Amino acid sequence: MNDLILPQTRINENAIKAWRISVALFGLLLYAVPALLYLLYLNNDVALMVPIATAPTTFIIHMGLIFIFPKIRWSRWRFDVNEKGVDMYRGIFVLKRTIVPVNRIQHVDTKQGPIYRKFGLSSISISTAATTHEIPALDDETATHLRSMISELVRKVKEDV
Amino acid sequence: MSEFRRQHPIAAVTQFLSVLRQNLIPIAIFLVLGSRNTDDYFWYFFVAGVISTLVIGFLGWIRFTYRVDGDELQINKGVLVRKKLYLTKDRIQVIDITEGLLQRIFGLVKVEVKSAGSGTDNATISAISRDEALELRALLRGEQSALQSEETVVSEEEISDQTSEVLEWRLSGKSLLLAALTSGNFGLIASILGAISGQLDQFVTEENLYFILDKVPGLGNTSLFVGVFILIFVVSYIFSFIGVIFQYADFKVEKKEKELHITSGLLERKHTTIPFNRIQALRFVEGIFREPFGYGMLYVESAGFEQKTNERSIVLLPFIKKDKLNAFLSDFIEEVEQPEFTITPPGRAFFRYLRRPNYILITAILGIWWFWDLGWIFFGFLVPATFLGWLRFNDAKLSFNGNMMKLQYRVLAKRTAYLKRNRAQVSELTRNPFQSFKKLATTHITVASGAGGKDFSVIDLDEQDAQKIINWSVGAKHEE
Repeated sequence: MNDLILPQTRINENAIKAWRISVALFGLLLYAVPALLYLLYLNNDVALMVPIATAPTTFIIHMGLIFIFPKIRWSRWRFDVNEKGVDMYRGIFVLKRTIVPVNRIQHVDTKQGPIYRKFGLSSISISTAATTHEIPALDDETATHLRSMISELVRKVKEDV
Repeated sequence: MSEFRRQHPIAAVTQFLSVLRQNLIPIAIFLVLGSRNTDDYFWYFFVAGVISTLVIGFLGWIRFTYRVDGDELQINKGVLVRKKLYLTKDRIQVIDITEGLLQRIFGLVKVEVKSAGSGTDNATISAISRDEALELRALLRGEQSALQSEETVVSEEEISDQTSEVLEWRLSGKSLLLAALTSGNFGLIASILGAISGQLDQFVTEENLYFILDKVPGLGNTSLFVGVFILIFVVSYIFSFIGVIFQYADFKVEKKEKELHITSGLLERKHTTIPFNRIQALRFVEGIFREPFGYGMLYVESAGFEQKTNERSIVLLPFIKKDKLNAFLSDFIEEVEQPEFTITPPGRAFFRYLRRPNYILITAILGIWWFWDLGWIFFGFLVPATFLGWLRFNDAKLSFNGNMMKLQYRVLAKRTAYLKRNRAQVSELTRNPFQSFKKLATTHITVASGAGGKDFSVIDLDEQDAQKIINWSVGAKHEE
């Protein structure tokens, strides 16, 4: 969306590392597929070629998820918070821009998993009466600041659902 | 009503029945599996299960007390985990009063008080007398005058509020009949019936089949197949017809000072109260069997505690002629102006609209073709699918002004949504690489509905227009 005015704030660059680690870990689940196929081979259900071909494919996909996607995801992620609302822009293939008007926000949370904690990151989730949106990977200080800033903005303009 | 009250004892039974209904499928599986078991202990389990459910129902009734204290509805309930539910008056979104079949026998009603938010529990009082229910509603709606009048006027049949002027819309018998004839529900029922008939394998053995084929002259394999197909169609059509009649018989909408009262149903009467300031959006749906005759159905979205997606929206008008819709809206709903500033998808999106319904179709046809040599004949469906794309392109339309947005789009049925700016919870713009290439984008506007959101989207708009639309929700003035 080059010729549109986009939000400007980026998320913390450590996000890339944090995401890489979590994808590296959770991506291990992908290897269940060749493992399962190997079991099927032992059971004479598929040819040996099937698990042999699947294993490196899984590896390539896993590496792609680790080394390519976090970077793209990080570089796309932009957001802005102002008195009108929260503006978010993100996406890898499908680009998505979301605007949550401030007076529709119900509550704001920050949260932190073990990997995020290691990098001093937190994510913020913003809930409306209908949906919840997350801004991932902000450093703790920004996250806390942003959370109180949003709730301050909300308090100023609050209307009922 | 400041003393805690208990429900009518029949609530214990309704509780029991609702547990049965919720667990119908597990119980059925349990019965089928269990009855194959020749040992007796299965039946001990079964009886024990039934008895404990009954006991829990009874204890639940003992524990359940409610009262209105000042601005609050207070409910104490719970057998093992005790729960105190306090609900403030100004948090209430919708009040439903339902007269179920069982309750009706005893002259009772069920009251559901719904508030917004997914985390909250809904307050359901499942069996109290009608008078109590009306008193409760009046207290919670904070109408002191209405309370008095309703208390005196409550007759067996009608709840009428004679103090204030009442504007009323009724569904005529003829409309009800037409609504039942044109409801698209039979497709759904047919698929359920189809699934059930798949389970009838044990009766439809080859022997039986050949027996029937032998006995009935002129019956071949094909005609039997077609016959079964027609039978399923007819039966489900009848079911859907009856369903609509029962649901919307004697349907009426009344406009009160601050709210709408909707009453409908034959065996189970349901009274819904929607305050005007709780209306999130209106949605007019022209079903494919209704659109040709110029009729449709109007829904209200409101933020209640309804988890089940298909029950989130409240039916405001089950059947209305399209050209009478505007008159109804201006009479019954405040401030529905028709915005004139209009956005439609640009010409370069035309072929995308035509292609879009075909992608899945082509994939599916290739899949069928793989297994069945004659699968290619399904390519004939490309013509109606393309036609659908063409209709979608023509129907995609969005307009807004300072306060209102009206968007129109078609999935299969044509939908028109009306919403106020301060009801747009989230607005979103998405685009995939192909859309980026053509500078197109899809917009989504989400309003609160039930315990979740209802998404209205118009695809393949010009990106600048899409941007204007999402800016609208935060109050940026549109140019032009």
